[in-house]
Amino acid sequence: MALLLIACLLLPLFPLSMPFNALLNWLKRPGIRFAVVLIAPQLGVLALDYVAQPIPDWLPVWALASAAFYAIRLLSVRDLGMWAGFLATSALALVWIFAAEGAAPLDLHLFAFGLSLPPALLMLLAGTLVRRFGAAYAGLHGGLGRCLPRWSRILIWVVLAAIATPVFPGFFIVLGLVFDARWPSAAAILFVWLIWSWAGTRLLQGFVFDICQQVEVRDLRPAAVAVYSGALALFLIAGLIVTGGVL
Amino acid sequence: MLDPMDTLAILLPAVPLFSALAIALLSARPGRQLARLSVILSVATFALAAGVLGGYLATSSPIWLTTDLGWGSIYLDPLSSIMSLLVAGISLVVHVYSVRYMAEEPGYARFFALLDLMTAAILLMVAAGDFITLLIAWHLIGVLLYFLLGHNQQRPAAQRYAFWTFFTYRLGDLPLVLAAVLLYQTYDTVALPELFERIAAMPNAPGILGFSLLEVVALLIALAAFARSAQFPFHTWLPYTMEGPTPVSALMHAGIVNAGGFLLNRFAPVFVEAGSVLHLVFAVGLITAVLGSVLMLTQNDIKKSLGYSTMGQMGFMFVECGVGAFSLAIYHLIAHGLFKGTMFLGAGGIIGEARKHDGVPHQDVYTLVVERKPAAARMPWMLAAGITVIVPFVILGLSHWLVDGDFVGQQGAIVLLFFGWVTGAQLLFATHRLRVDSPSRLMALIILSLTIVVVGYTLIEHNFDLFLYPDRVMSERLYAAASIPMAVFGGLVTLVTLAVVVGWIAAYYAMANRDPLDGRADGPRMMLYSLFSREFYVADLYTRLTEWVLAVSKRFNIWSRWV
Repeated sequence: MALLLIACLLLPLFPLSMPFNALLNWLKRPGIRFAVVLIAPQLGVLALDYVAQPIPDWLPVWALASAAFYAIRLLSVRDLGMWAGFLATSALALVWIFAAEGAAPLDLHLFAFGLSLPPALLMLLAGTLVRRFGAAYAGLHGGLGRCLPRWSRILIWVVLAAIATPVFPGFFIVLGLVFDARWPSAAAILFVWLIWSWAGTRLLQGFVFDICQQVEVRDLRPAAVAVYSGALALFLIAGLIVTGGVL
Repeated sequence: MLDPMDTLAILLPAVPLFSALAIALLSARPGRQLARLSVILSVATFALAAGVLGGYLATSSPIWLTTDLGWGSIYLDPLSSIMSLLVAGISLVVHVYSVRYMAEEPGYARFFALLDLMTAAILLMVAAGDFITLLIAWHLIGVLLYFLLGHNQQRPAAQRYAFWTFFTYRLGDLPLVLAAVLLYQTYDTVALPELFERIAAMPNAPGILGFSLLEVVALLIALAAFARSAQFPFHTWLPYTMEGPTPVSALMHAGIVNAGGFLLNRFAPVFVEAGSVLHLVFAVGLITAVLGSVLMLTQNDIKKSLGYSTMGQMGFMFVECGVGAFSLAIYHLIAHGLFKGTMFLGAGGIIGEARKHDGVPHQDVYTLVVERKPAAARMPWMLAAGITVIVPFVILGLSHWLVDGDFVGQQGAIVLLFFGWVTGAQLLFATHRLRVDSPSRLMALIILSLTIVVVGYTLIEHNFDLFLYPDRVMSERLYAAASIPMAVFGGLVTLVTLAVVVGWIAAYYAMANRDPLDGRADGPRMMLYSLFSREFYVADLYTRLTEWVLAVSKRFNIWSRWV
């Protein structure tokens, strides 16, 4: 029962993930969304440690199915905030598989952090776009690579981190998970990873590429770019140090 | 303290990476300055690659540098040394060409930064000493190619086809990861030299679902190579990448697309234990070579035609691997890289030339009456047929006998000689069809050229094989693994010979009896034409599949109320 509660609230698995995503949609402030995506899984890992129950065999299977389900759903989502929420749900489901392999609590915390930071940053980027256009829909304001070059550059880097591109921590996390899994689970995780990549490129095509429609829009301030870039660089370097030695 | 050769090995991928970082940091400077910096560092990279190869030739000992992380190691053996030189050379040419070609394009500095990152990633891939580094480089090449092909952000077509390429590459990444997982779980190492030693010591590891482990791993590696080198049915992205900038096309067709051949060679110790997978590689390569060549002939766009030509060449490269001639595939890959790069970079000039001259040969009456030249002639057909069939056979046989008297003992060598004979005969047949002033002089010159090419090719390839596979046992085991029962082999050779000869005769009669002004086509021909023009509907099938997955995704979201 305790595990189910954790699955419902903090490390969401479908269909218990629906309240989690409904909450993210309901929250309007990007800062609060950022905090929820970042903190909820950490609390989930703490709760798992506190409950200290062995994870039954059926739970990793459920987690994989949930991760795959949300990955497929990502393909047709155009709202950047919702996209980030679905990606977080899909990625955080993998924490259960890592936990089932008997990972240490600290490793689990880092694992969850590595997978939740990029979607959390996407929440902030979505907020920036909503402030300028009233909405953050892919394809609605295409060609932002020309209109908002700084914002687009940061979006590209964050999406690359979110879809576990080397050498971001997500890559080593997924690789570590796959290397310890049996081959059917490994194949399923790789399928989820493939769909993330597909969804990520669809998102970039909807926002960054195409002909610029807007003439006068304020781009991200250089200070904000420095903060985002610094955070991503730290994330990358920390990931290389902490998760670089996958095996 | 690092050995000078070790320093060179580290600097080889580090210099282009440094160049990319420098361009990113100095992006406020004028683009021309940054391009110049990039070119200078490309020259340095090429010099380093030459130094590494020279060092290997001097010492004959590979370099293997490891790190405490368990990944990030570098392994420079004959294969990676020669590949590094090729990659650095093509990258340098593309850099120099791009300085002027891309000058008017937006994102000039970004283009050079991406080009440098791509060079670094390819150099890292060929020099990777462990599976993790190989996976990192392998994956990064796909990502960087996506951004290079989509460099023009305002062209939807460029974006669409960049995505096709990216997705196919990602599809090919996954089997390689799975192969790494299986090998790591069985042999407990990701370091490639160690892994190959352990495979040699324990080739009969426990398998999966009744299949031998190494056969499954070889199949996964072959799938990764198929996707990377545009083998059927993963080929649809290649001809459409022409939407990207021409220098990127040159880099891709001359370098990146060859990665499949490199991968098969790198994992030759696995393929030695997986003969059945080599047969699959042969079959897929053959289908790709035939389809690529057929589609190349039906294109009316020079760049797309070159794209399909690359597909055909890649298919032939896999055929070579499939018969066990692994070193020949690398030799082919280098030769193809150089000539295809030249053709791409010269395509613009040819298009310009074609706008001035249509290139259609005049008919005899026009030549005689208007140009006042003597009517051209042909050699007697019996003599031409004899030369066509016998001369290539003699040249190929003698040249191979000179370098290796025992070549007829290997099935792979016979298959390749057969291909050589067909190609040589095709060349002479095409020569016979030309109407010229002096047919015998032309035929003599062509035979002389063919002799020089075949003898040169045979000698170089023989020495190249000794260079890449100094362990002769490994080379012979590869041929042996690719072999099939002698009776089946003999039957297949007879069947294919008959098919080729009957095809030639049929083509000759069809050409001889055809009215040149009659352009009508019957039903089956029209069907065949529509098949070719729709490229066998493979891309249409993928489009349908994509639409279906997207529809499923939407349906899921509607059912679950978008939460």
